[in-house]
Amino acid sequence: MLSFFITTPLIVLMILNLPFRSLMKRIVFVVGLSLALIQAVLVALAIFGFWDIYSIPVSPMLRFNIGVDNLSLLLLLCNGMVVFITMLVSRSFIEEGEKRFNFTSLLLLSFAGVNGIALARDIFSLYVFIEVVSISSFILICFNKDRDAFEGAFKYIILSAIATIFMLTSIALIFLVSGDMSFEAVRAALDNSAHTSLVLMAIGLFLCGFFIKAGVVPFHGWLADAYTSASAPVSVYLAGVSTKAVGVYALIRIVVTVFGFDTPINKVLLFAGALSVVVGAIATLTQTDFKRMLAYSSISQIGYIVLALGIATPLGIAAAAFHFFNHAVFKSLLFVNAATLEIATGTREMDKLGGLAQRMPVTGVTSALACLSIAGVPPLAGFWSKLLIIIALWSSAHYNYALIAALASLLTLGYMLLLQRKVFFGSVGDHLARIKEGEWNLIICAIILAAVTVGVGVLFPFNLCKLIIR
Amino acid sequence: MTSVNPYLFFHIFIVTIMLFVMGFYCIFFTFNLVRALIGVELLIKAVTLLIITAGYVTGHMALAQAIVITLIVVEVVFIVVATGVVIGLHGHNGTLDTRKLRNLKG
Repeated sequence: MLSFFITTPLIVLMILNLPFRSLMKRIVFVVGLSLALIQAVLVALAIFGFWDIYSIPVSPMLRFNIGVDNLSLLLLLCNGMVVFITMLVSRSFIEEGEKRFNFTSLLLLSFAGVNGIALARDIFSLYVFIEVVSISSFILICFNKDRDAFEGAFKYIILSAIATIFMLTSIALIFLVSGDMSFEAVRAALDNSAHTSLVLMAIGLFLCGFFIKAGVVPFHGWLADAYTSASAPVSVYLAGVSTKAVGVYALIRIVVTVFGFDTPINKVLLFAGALSVVVGAIATLTQTDFKRMLAYSSISQIGYIVLALGIATPLGIAAAAFHFFNHAVFKSLLFVNAATLEIATGTREMDKLGGLAQRMPVTGVTSALACLSIAGVPPLAGFWSKLLIIIALWSSAHYNYALIAALASLLTLGYMLLLQRKVFFGSVGDHLARIKEGEWNLIICAIILAAVTVGVGVLFPFNLCKLIIR
Repeated sequence: MTSVNPYLFFHIFIVTIMLFVMGFYCIFFTFNLVRALIGVELLIKAVTLLIITAGYVTGHMALAQAIVITLIVVEVVFIVVATGVVIGLHGHNGTLDTRKLRNLKG
């Protein structure tokens, strides 16, 4: 049953590319939209029996009542939601006809790939699905064929190729030790073998590969370029799901399920995460481009997820997964707002904007909600995940890292308020006096995502009580 | 495991290391878009060789072959897309020099 999640988008893709192009061009938008929506609703309701197949929880804490009981389900939910939003946003940016058909096909391919990453149960399939998602992301980034997009895509391609080489070398070394590829067999083989230099080298190479793909700080060079140069709907998709699935989710999956926690792994994860949090937040302060600022903020938030993973307690893993979900929601929301701004004003330079909250009330309010959520202001969703991360750090005696996480949270509040003040607050300039609110599809996207952020934040304390009592 | 000729393994290991050095040299020191892609190809070939050797040493040749065939397919798709991007860059910049890729900064 679960393989439907991979096969359905692929079969739909094949049917769409058969003859009857003119008919297919008309229905492609609706088909893509409904596929993503069906997946999100299926996961969120979780009413079907087939979820029980993989119901061995990653950690006892991971049974949130927002309809998720496992890491895979979390990624499936994010994927359905963000692809739905991306489709709606693309309606304003990509014209009807051939272009939108190609865009939707690529997006569906990537959708199937992310579902595959979520459901893969052996190392090599994980690699294959990662490549599927990466390759469709390359094409999506340079979809508009302008110069910056090609440049950003090329940087991503080269760094991604190096990450691929690292992962494959590591797979070869693991194959040498275990002789098999499935998660259980590799886990058993790694447990039985003493941690020789060969195994340590394999683990290190694998972690490096994921760090490059996720954009954790020593390897973050490509991320800002790719996010900024891609067209607006593609940035929503890249920031919301694509790089998260390829880098962060796969990292969590491999570390939790295959490698298991070990002191050197934890130290590397904690250090890389903390470095990413601080460097990403500081780099944000100097940016003038709206999307570039969001990209650096993404690096900082990915750092939080890696930091939480490095704690290696069930609470830490749960916090990492929860922040993963929250990040997909509020970062997509901010990129949707960036898209609305770009279409309304024609620029992304923050110095040329100002006072837009009066002219664009929905965009202003949802953007303020997303900023407060990222900064960790109660009662929004981001507050709870950051609180969980800091509690987990403190309770496992990583006091320095807890301090860094808390201080960087203040820094986050600082740069997010800076962004709000520059773009939305203040008085309207003369050249912006005729700006109107965005189209209905952009407004619907913003409202849905803002409702999810607020809803999860407000409802979370009740779930937290259940977790503590149980 | 018992019938493995250690000299063969040693030779393959040397070749793999050489391919790795050549590939990384191509990517980082030649400043040419096409050569960078050739470097990626060399690196993937090195990894392919490593996987086949691992399969031979552990006696799982069938699995190793399946993996390598899939790997070759993925690699071809990857290199086609990357070449398309290189053609696009050449159309915009008129050059293949990677040092001219300085448009995005900050």
